[in-house]
Formats: sequence, structure tokens, C-alpha cells
Amino acid sequence: MTPNAPDDRDLMAAVARGDEPAFAELVRRYSGRLFATAHRILGSRADAEDAVQRALMQCFRSAASYRPVWAVSTWLYRIITNACVDELRRRAARREIAEPEAHERGGTVPSPGERLDIERALGRVPREARILLTLCYVDGLSYRELARVRGISINTVKSQIARGKAILRDALAGGRGDAARAKDKHAAGTHVERS
Amino acid sequence: MNRIEEILHDHFRPEPEPAGLSERIMAGLRALPGSGEPLEPGLVRSLLDRLAVEATARGVSGVRLGGGPARPSGAAARRLAERARAELQEYWEGRRSFFSVPVDLGAGPAFQHRVLDAAVRIPFGESRSYSWVAGAIGHPKAVRAVGTALGRNPVPFIVPCHRVLRSDGSLGGYGLGLPLKRLLLDLEVRTPPLEGCASTHIVCRTGCRAGGRMRPDSRILFASLDDALSVGYRACRVCRPDGAAAH
Repeated sequence: MTPNAPDDRDLMAAVARGDEPAFAELVRRYSGRLFATAHRILGSRADAEDAVQRALMQCFRSAASYRPVWAVSTWLYRIITNACVDELRRRAARREIAEPEAHERGGTVPSPGERLDIERALGRVPREARILLTLCYVDGLSYRELARVRGISINTVKSQIARGKAILRDALAGGRGDAARAKDKHAAGTHVERS
Repeated sequence: MNRIEEILHDHFRPEPEPAGLSERIMAGLRALPGSGEPLEPGLVRSLLDRLAVEATARGVSGVRLGGGPARPSGAAARRLAERARAELQEYWEGRRSFFSVPVDLGAGPAFQHRVLDAAVRIPFGESRSYSWVAGAIGHPKAVRAVGTALGRNPVPFIVPCHRVLRSDGSLGGYGLGLPLKRLLLDLEVRTPPLEGCASTHIVCRTGCRAGGRMRPDSRILFASLDDALSVGYRACRVCRPDGAAAH
């Protein structure tokens, strides 16, 4: 960034006046970060690009409703997260329409190698907590920013993230734990109590 | 740093931005002005031009496309017909995910009533099969009769007979034409059914008059009601996203 580069808030004010070069600059600054987040939430590069496109389109249209009390990045994260959440809902709805008799959820797209375990474990974390974890770890958003992005209290952010991590810890340990228990049970030929 | 922290940092390490992303996005934005409209604005205008709503003082009794204007008699009936027209417009424009206007099916056959009641219970954005409806009303073998009863639905759109498909996912029938049935199913997939307000922590069905007072930048989308409740939102008491489906 050059010393004379306008800050984000000035850019947004220009975008609200319909200034297209200002918007192009905003896109240049943020599309990569928004893409990284959308990709991690959606698991698909094509869907992530679509979501970024929809989000930036909405940003352009509703720039006038942006309130400078917020950082522009926070506002953009709210918009991209809404776009991703809506894409997750659409996927579930498309499954309903394609298979009206099948109501179970499909799994996430498996990725190769050692990522598989963590992908599976994340699949057990409820959706909102998973999204908070993603926002938190992909781009290092603070709890205060996360609270603003999802319109929730900081305490809720803390408890959701703690719960998400606890589920992950369990799920990652659980694979081995279940296997070990099964082995014990087989060896002893008796019922193994869970503690 | 504990192990979970390490795993998460490692797992979510951002990948390099795809080449030419900003340029593609700018090009896409220029190419798609006004995209994102769930139904073509021209189609919505044409539907509104042909729309005729019949009503009694108790509720909407008929929705037609074409066939001359409707003439509801009495002030209460006219008010309900106007309300239905306004709700239908919002629905076609992707700004409404439920109808609050009451329906008056009159004294039709009991079987027909039960079929239409079952159709009303299919959530917005979803679909069910003809045999699901037959099972839901306790006549699992009456699949063909279910199709006939849905075909005679006097209040299409509001009683969502378009959400009933064949078991193999194909469209089946529709009195207003299969292309419109397909468009309505797509419209419902593209319309967010729920929206939360960041300042009140209330989640509404899209189009609720309470939610309509929300600032656009306070809007939080959720993929399901359970998701909203899991982060401390509560269901609106006006539109009842948690209640038995109104319709």
C-alpha cells in the first residue's frame, strides 16, 4: 500500500457514491481474504468464488448502509459469512429436492491423506460453531470481531468455540478410543464400562 | 500451544489466492447487473398482471392466473385479497418465505382438504413425494387420487402444491405448467427462509412484518432454526418459525 492510499472507510464512502475504481480497489484488497474464508467454510473453490462474487455484489449495492463505527473488514466478513451460510442451506435444500425420500445428511467432501481425520472431526461440530472456528483460525478474527460478524454476544463466541474444540478433541481421540475399547472388549469377552 | 490449537492452525492455514481472482470477480460483477433476482423481474410483472385473487371474509378462496379479474364481495374479503396479492409479490421477488394471509377452502371434499393440509406442512424450500402426502393423510395407496386433489388446488402458491414431486425427483404435474413449477422450486431454494436481527437476537421467517423493520446491515442468515437457537437467538413470536408451519 502506498502512503497516499485511501483507508478502507474512505474507500467505502467512495463506493457508496458509485465510484467504480474505488470498488475495484476494495475488491483487490479483500477478495483473497474473503475467498480463503469462503473456501474453508464451503470446501469448494468454485462455490467459494461464487460466494465472494455474491458478497461483493451485495457490498456494492448496499455500501450506503455501511456504518463507519465498524471496521470495513468486519462488515465484509458479515456479508461473506451470510453468503456462505446461505450456500450451505441451499446444498441441503438441493439434496431434499433431488432425493425427496432421503432425509439424512450427506458427508463433507473427503480430502486426501491426513486431512481426513480433522475434516471428519470438524463434521461433528455443529455448523455455527464450525463457522466461528473457521473465521477464527483462517484469518485470526478476534472474539469481538466474531461476535459482530455473526451478531452474537462475546460470551456466546467463547462458549461456542470452547465447545467446538471439546468436540474436536473428543472426535480425534474417539477414533482411537473406540478401537481400543473394542479390542479390550474382545480380549476380555465382557462388557466394558465407559467412564 | 496445545495440540488442538496446533491442529486448527495447521488445518486452516490459508492457501494462496487463485490467480486472477480479483479480475474475474470484477468482470463477473460487470456482466451480471441485477443478477441474484430469484425470478426475472419481467416474469414477476407478468404474473402480477394476470393474477386474480378470490376471497371471502374468512380467507383467500382462489388464486388464478388469467381468466378475468376477481370480484371479492365485502370490505373484509377485499382486504384479504389485497394482502394476498402483496404477499405473493414479495414471495415472487424472493422477499418472503411464508404466507400469513388465511385461506378459506370452503366446503370441498374432505379428502381434498386433507391433501391440501398436508401440502401446507411441507416446509418452504423443500419438497415431498406424492406417496409421502398419501402416507401423511393415512391413505398410502391413494397416490393417484392425491395427484388429482393437488391438481384441483384452488389456491396455488399459497397452498404449496408445487412442493409435491414424484418419488424419483421428477416434477410430476402442475396446473399452471411445469416450467413455472420448476421456477418456484428454484425460487424457494434461492430465497433465504430465515433471517436474524443482530441487534434484537430474534430470528424471523423472511418477510415477517416484525423482521421488516430490521436495518439491512443487521441481517444475519442462518441455515436452520436450530443453528440460530444454538447461538442464542430466539424465534419471533409474530411469524413463529418454530411453530407448526402456517403456510
